[in-house]
Amino acid sequence: MKNMLRIEELRVTVEGKEILKGVTLEVGAGEVHAVMGPNGSGKSTLAYVLAGREGYEVTGGRVLFLGQDLLAMEPEERAAAGLFLAMQYPVEIPGVSNMYFLRQAMNAVRKARGEPEIAAGAFMKMLREKARLVGIRDELLKRDVNTGFSGGEKKRNEILQLAMLEPKLAVLDETDSGLDIDALKAVAEAVNSLRGPDRAFLVITHYQRLLEHIEPDHVHVMVDGRIRRSGGKELALELERHGYEQFAAAAA
Amino acid sequence: MGAATRRIDPPPFYGELFARERTRLPGHGRAALDRVREEAFTRFLGLGLPTQKAEAWKYSPITRLANREMALAEPTVPGLEEVSAWFGGGPATRRLIFVDGHLQPEFSHVGGLPAGVRVMGLARAIETIPEAVAEALAGCDPERAFSQLNAALTRSGAWIELADGVALEEPLQLLFLHRGGDSAVMTHPRIVIRLGRGARLHLLETHAGSGSGHCFVNLVGQAVLGDGAELLCDRLQLGGSGLSLLARGFLEMGAGARLRATTVALGSGFLRNEIELRLAGREGEAILSGLYMPRGEEHVDTLVRIHHEAENCHSDQFYKGVVEDRARAAFAGKIIVHRGAQKTNAYQANNNLLLSDRAEVNSKPELEIYADDVKCSHGATCGDLDPEALFYLRARGLAREVASSLLVYAFANEVIERMADARLQALTRRAMLERVPGGAALEAEGLL
Amino acid sequence: MSSTIETLKEHTSGEYKYGFMTAVEEETTPPGLDEEVIRRISARKEEPEWLTEWRLAAYRRWRAMAEPDWQKVTYPPIDYQAISYFAAPKQKERPKSLDDIDPEIRRTYEKLGIPIREQEILAGVAVDYVFDSVSVATTFKNKLAELGIVFCSISEAVRDHPELVREYLGSVVPQGDNFFAALNSAVFTDGSFVYVPKGVRCPMELSTYFRINAAGTGQFERTLIIADEGSYVSYLEGCTAPMRDENQLHAAVVELIALDDAEIKYSTVQNWYPGDREGKGGIYNFVTKRGICRGRRSKISWTQVETGSAITWKYPSCILQGDDSVGEFYSVALTNNFQQADTGTKMIHIGKRTRSRIVAKGIAAGRSDSTYRGLVRILRGATGARNHTQCDSLLIGDRCGAHTVPYIEVRNRSAEVEHEATTSKISEDQLFYCRSRGFPEEDAVALIVNGFCREVMEELPMEFAVEARKLLGISLEGSVG
Ligand SMILES: Nc1ncnc2c1ncn2[C@@H]1O[C@H](COP(=O)(O)OP(=O)(O)O)[C@@H](O)[C@H]1O
Ligand SMILES: [Mg+2]
Repeated sequence: MKNMLRIEELRVTVEGKEILKGVTLEVGAGEVHAVMGPNGSGKSTLAYVLAGREGYEVTGGRVLFLGQDLLAMEPEERAAAGLFLAMQYPVEIPGVSNMYFLRQAMNAVRKARGEPEIAAGAFMKMLREKARLVGIRDELLKRDVNTGFSGGEKKRNEILQLAMLEPKLAVLDETDSGLDIDALKAVAEAVNSLRGPDRAFLVITHYQRLLEHIEPDHVHVMVDGRIRRSGGKELALELERHGYEQFAAAAA
Repeated sequence: MGAATRRIDPPPFYGELFARERTRLPGHGRAALDRVREEAFTRFLGLGLPTQKAEAWKYSPITRLANREMALAEPTVPGLEEVSAWFGGGPATRRLIFVDGHLQPEFSHVGGLPAGVRVMGLARAIETIPEAVAEALAGCDPERAFSQLNAALTRSGAWIELADGVALEEPLQLLFLHRGGDSAVMTHPRIVIRLGRGARLHLLETHAGSGSGHCFVNLVGQAVLGDGAELLCDRLQLGGSGLSLLARGFLEMGAGARLRATTVALGSGFLRNEIELRLAGREGEAILSGLYMPRGEEHVDTLVRIHHEAENCHSDQFYKGVVEDRARAAFAGKIIVHRGAQKTNAYQANNNLLLSDRAEVNSKPELEIYADDVKCSHGATCGDLDPEALFYLRARGLAREVASSLLVYAFANEVIERMADARLQALTRRAMLERVPGGAALEAEGLL
Repeated sequence: MSSTIETLKEHTSGEYKYGFMTAVEEETTPPGLDEEVIRRISARKEEPEWLTEWRLAAYRRWRAMAEPDWQKVTYPPIDYQAISYFAAPKQKERPKSLDDIDPEIRRTYEKLGIPIREQEILAGVAVDYVFDSVSVATTFKNKLAELGIVFCSISEAVRDHPELVREYLGSVVPQGDNFFAALNSAVFTDGSFVYVPKGVRCPMELSTYFRINAAGTGQFERTLIIADEGSYVSYLEGCTAPMRDENQLHAAVVELIALDDAEIKYSTVQNWYPGDREGKGGIYNFVTKRGICRGRRSKISWTQVETGSAITWKYPSCILQGDDSVGEFYSVALTNNFQQADTGTKMIHIGKRTRSRIVAKGIAAGRSDSTYRGLVRILRGATGARNHTQCDSLLIGDRCGAHTVPYIEVRNRSAEVEHEATTSKISEDQLFYCRSRGFPEEDAVALIVNGFCREVMEELPMEFAVEARKLLGISLEGSVG
């Protein structure tokens, strides 16, 4: 199986405090990995570092994405290379319409890949289709990016972008939190429909609930900045029953 | 609009007055102080009186008042009730009491101070620490004519000094009674406050005057707050038609210092409060609140300038006005964020109720910003009472007048509630209520 | 939303892309200003006696005036005797038809993207082309004339419609209004004139394109727009200048008059040469623009996108005299490098139930300074007047400044005035979000800035909105990273 993402002994410090303390993780093409862990264990930090947000100091280790040194790339280069992060707290951008944003983002990524711009008609068609898939009303497409969206709408909007941008690796950071059961199903369905041999997912969550709908190939437990255990999907069930206590004790 | 029209030469009586009075001023004969006074007076003549072309005085016709021939006020002795009516604080509150700019030792009481605290009248300070006084006068506000005039002519006021780590738990009140006389007089009180690191002071400053005789008060306060020091300041100003009160505060705050000042300038013939504040150390915090309620032909204006010079400081201006009859109100508040003062948080609000077609509200909320990582905002409004709220109250059975009075009261009270001293707050609230049309009825109806 | 980041990119490669010069033979007066020069300008333009006298009166007032110094801009003293007050391409007379225009000038406007012709790209927009001191062409004149609309250069108007010019010239901006207006009144050379008769809705956008070409000159144009009862007109103004190391003065006056039920919409995209990255050169833009809503229910709406000039000093204002009249001001002022902008508006409420709305967006980058300065004055008789003002500033980088100086003066109890302002930096979160979706940093900044300005951009006519969006991106070039 082709290796897509390879994180080796990654250490990250935020404002002088070490958050990731040596994370090692490999994700192959076509795989779905779940990262679970209690609040504050460093899951979002990992996601942001992968996407290239500022304010995170990498003090050790490295990350290879499709063989390239991911950490040396600018955020937009990572996007162009096929990395997508669905954020735990999507950002509002007043004044910029959602539709316009999506189209420009698609073209930016396409251009970086040397592909031609998407035609207006094709774009609209694709947008309608995908919007229906994730359950986004037309009206939300016309509004400004995430502005005035409910928590659930923001999450669906992230998945819509995911569906439109068709990345190689999608990192979903707690996309399930704040969703009601219908929304959860819609999001899961959308994700499942995007699964394929060339695409991998890193699904961050701290509930097993999402994993009932998106079946992972591998589950990792992150506690206090380290992957404490890895296993198959049964690990998620075990966590559901026994919680993270056992790992917390080990970490102390 | 050249610089020439922004000032006029002070009329000659100032020169004559200075020549006549200088030998009678406290500390005369001490070379350092004499020199400071001379220089200040020369600067005053050079700076001249500001006209309304000068931006800071755009809405303040001060020159008309300052141009009248005045003499320095002579001491008079009031009755106790006249003074005690303005007492804030509690039984242990220390007070310095000034009548027409003269300290009244018989009413004042500043005994039993804890170690590390020095509170005295300015004349005493000139006797005991002349160099420090000379230095304080010389160093303050070189570009402002009235501050220079004050430095030249001041003869009373307060010197308040707290050593590092010292707190004065009971409030200290500076009580000013401006009685005026038959002929026009002026006074130039000076307040100097020095708070050491972590020192704490709660100051009450009240100005009252009933007379209609022209009394021009040119007050200058200067305060230095050391790192972590805290100054709480409640101020009430209420004078008659003859009182022109010009009160200037210049404050410098160290790292982590905190200031909370609430100024209720109810009214007077002419009232102007200026606060210039430097947040010179990191994490300083200043909360300034104010209420003005001029009526009749009164004029009240406020000028606030806050300099954010260090990172992570917070400032908040909250000013409200209720303007009646033919009165005029002006608010000019400026936030200046200097280069490098990142993570500044500054807010400014000025809300006005204009309750008469002959009254006037002027507001100038200003931002001057040279650092990018800041959150600064301001809002200013002017309008009549909210018709929705009025309707709501009336629908609940309140008579129209009562409902209006209640809304005005509620609007004004938001500021008064910020006063820290309960007694002064109650006194202020009562005085405010008297200015609300139909305010007395509110109390009678038991709505408060 | 037809513009794309793509077109924006195209433009970003060339910095100020309008900086070329046109090699036409020009006639210029020698530098300096005195009564003789004014008489010569007036004679050259074959003006009637009253106008010559009007100019001279303005000149005499100007001599007694001082340059304003309250604005938040600094510049070395201007030597008014070093400026040449008249420059015009040499040509016997104004071309009779569009085909007679000097090919060099024609090429200039083609390069600027506004070819002089009445078809294709600019169909639906009638353009008056002002090259240095004179108007060189006006398109669609005949078509407009059929409706009784007068759209011509102000010189032609003086000749052909003297009664209108005489009645309205200086009626909104009096000769002695301010230093720069007085100077303009003395030496104005050309500009546009519009008269829309009663009840006529002007069917196309009217536009003037100003171009400074000659060196050592100033441009002093004068625009006068009169909308008679029940009429409507939308007017656009654009401008560019060559890149030169020297500073050039532009001191225009614009007067708008709206009678009962009339509406004037005036849009500007100001793109004078801003100077280079070190702050060398650039236009000094000192402009007086004012409209009066004389009639009941009349409306004047100013929209401006200010990206050019080394110094911008302008306060398009509305005098709301007619009852129920409406004034609007929508502004984007973007400064970069060493630019300084002090701009805003005045809304003077005189009539009953007059309403005004102000939306001002300031963006400062580089070492620039951007100031909003505005006045809202509600006079005693303006019962039921309303104003709402929103001023937002965005800072890009920590070497620039953004300032807000509003004046609010209320003298009527029933008036309601609300002013809000915010200042913040461009959000790191938004930047990261856009970049993680694939936008390069400069595009992300342009996108966010465009979003920040959208309320204003939406007020621009379509043709201009696209241009303006691109301009914002170009002007921000080099402001990040
Ligand atoms: N910007 C930041 N500044 C300081 N601490 C941070 C910051 N971001 C995250 N942290 C800290 O890092 C730890 C991990 O946070 P996070 O990665 O968000 O955890 P999770 O997503 O697993 O809940 C927490 O202790 C959090 O408080
Ligand atoms: Mg998280």
